[in-house]
Amino acid sequence: MAQMGLVQFSGHQHLRLRLVLSILSGKAVRIDKIRPDDKNPGLRDFEISLLRLLEKVTNGTVIEISVTGTAFLLKPGIISGGPLTHDCPLSRSIGYFLEPIVMLAPFAKKSFQLTLRGITTDDQDLSADLFRTGTLPHLQLFGISDGLELRIKKRGAPPAGGGEVQFLCPIVKQVKTLNFVEPGKIKRIRGVAHAVRVNPQFSNRMIEASRSILNRYIPDIYLYSDVYKGEESGKSPGYALSLLAESTTSALYCAEAISQPGVAPEDIALRAARALLTEIEKGGCVDRQHQQLVLLMMVLGSEDVSRCRMGVPTPRTIQFLRDIRSFFGTSFKIVSADPSDEDCSQLLYSCYGTGYVNANRTVA
Amino acid sequence: LSSNSQRRKDWMKLIYSSDLTPEEVLSGKDDRLMTVDEEDDDNDEFFRLKTVSRRVEDEEEIDSSKVVSSEEDLKKWVGEEALDSIRTLFITGTARQEGGG
Repeated sequence: MAQMGLVQFSGHQHLRLRLVLSILSGKAVRIDKIRPDDKNPGLRDFEISLLRLLEKVTNGTVIEISVTGTAFLLKPGIISGGPLTHDCPLSRSIGYFLEPIVMLAPFAKKSFQLTLRGITTDDQDLSADLFRTGTLPHLQLFGISDGLELRIKKRGAPPAGGGEVQFLCPIVKQVKTLNFVEPGKIKRIRGVAHAVRVNPQFSNRMIEASRSILNRYIPDIYLYSDVYKGEESGKSPGYALSLLAESTTSALYCAEAISQPGVAPEDIALRAARALLTEIEKGGCVDRQHQQLVLLMMVLGSEDVSRCRMGVPTPRTIQFLRDIRSFFGTSFKIVSADPSDEDCSQLLYSCYGTGYVNANRTVA
Repeated sequence: LSSNSQRRKDWMKLIYSSDLTPEEVLSGKDDRLMTVDEEDDDNDEFFRLKTVSRRVEDEEEIDSSKVVSSEEDLKKWVGEEALDSIRTLFITGTARQEGGG
C-alpha cells in the first residue's frame, strides 16, 4: 500500500487517526472516495475544520482538496505547536478535535497552548471532563506529565455550544517504553457532575443516583458537583455525569452519560454508573476509549518491547492496528493474556518500539 | 457466552492477514468466511459473504472513539446478582469468599 512515502485510503472513516499517523510518520496521505454517493458528497464542515486546525498546529503542511471535496492529499510538515486558538464548528464537539491533537502535541517544536471553542460535552466524542481526568493521565504512562493540563474555562452544551477549553502540553524528546500488564483492583472512583442553564440541583440528583449503585463496592468515592455560572455556562442547557475508576496499579476506566430530552437526571446517572461497570468488567489495563492512544504511544516508544494488557480490540482499534502497519511497518503481537485460563478474554499486546525521536523539538 | 469463539481467535492473523472488515473480525463471522477463502466449492457460501459485506447502515458511521455501551450491556446491571459478580475486581472484594465487603 505504501510507496515512496505516500499512503492511500478510500472513504471518510478513520480520518482523524490516519491524519495523525501521516503527520507523525512524515508520510503523505491521500484519501479519496469521501462519501461519493452521498446526497451531500465530500468532506463535512468539521473535517475541513480539522484539516485547518492541523494546518495551524504544523508548519509546512500542504493540503490539496479536490474540487468536489471527495478527495484530498496531505503532505505533512513539522508539528510546530505554540499558542493557538481554534473555533470548532458546532457539528462536532471539542473532543473530536482534541483527540488527534493530544497524539501530536508531545512531539511539537514548542509546547502546545491551544484554546478551543465550541461544545465541551456531547454524546459523540469524549467530553472535556473525561479528557482531563481520563485521557491525560494515560500520557503520563509514557513520561509526558509536567505541565500537562486541560482547563475548562467555559462549558458549552449542544446545540449552541459556547464553551472554551485550554490545552497545555509539554514536549518530549522520546516517549517511555510501556510495560503495563497488571490491571490491579479498583481502589477509588471519582466523578464530575455538571449542570448548566438548568436547575443546579440536577448535579446533586445525579450524584445521589449513581451512588446508589457504586456505594456497594468501595468507600473511596468522591463525586464532585462542578458549578459554572453566567457567561461560563455556555449558550445551551445541559448536564452530564462523568465517572472514572482507578485501580491499585493506576489502570483507569472511564464512562459518562449526557443529558437527553425527557430523561430524568437520575436515569442519566444510572446510565453512567452502569457504563462504568461495563468498562470495569471488560478489565485490562486500558479501557476501550483509550486503546488507540496507548497503542500509538507504544509504537512510538524507544527501541524496546512494549507490553500492555487490554480487552478485545474495538473495530476502530482493529483498523488502527492495520493503519499503523501501513505507516510505520510495525505490527503487534496479540495473544491471550492468560493462556492457561480458557475464559480469559483479555489480550496481551506487544510491539517493538520504532524509537521515534522528536526531531521538531527546539534544543534549549 | 460468545467468549467461546472469542478466545480461539487468532487475532494477529485476523487483523494483519485477512481482508475482513473490523466488524467482521469481531462478529465471529470470521471462521465461516475464512473457510470460504480456502475451499470455495459451494456457491451458497459465496453469496453469504456478499450479504455480510453489503450490510450498509442507514446512519453514517461516525468517526468517534467514544464507546457507547449498548442498552443491552447496561440492562445487565439491574440485578443484584450481576452487581455482585464484579465485586472481586475491587480492593474490598475478597477473592473467593462472598459476602465479605
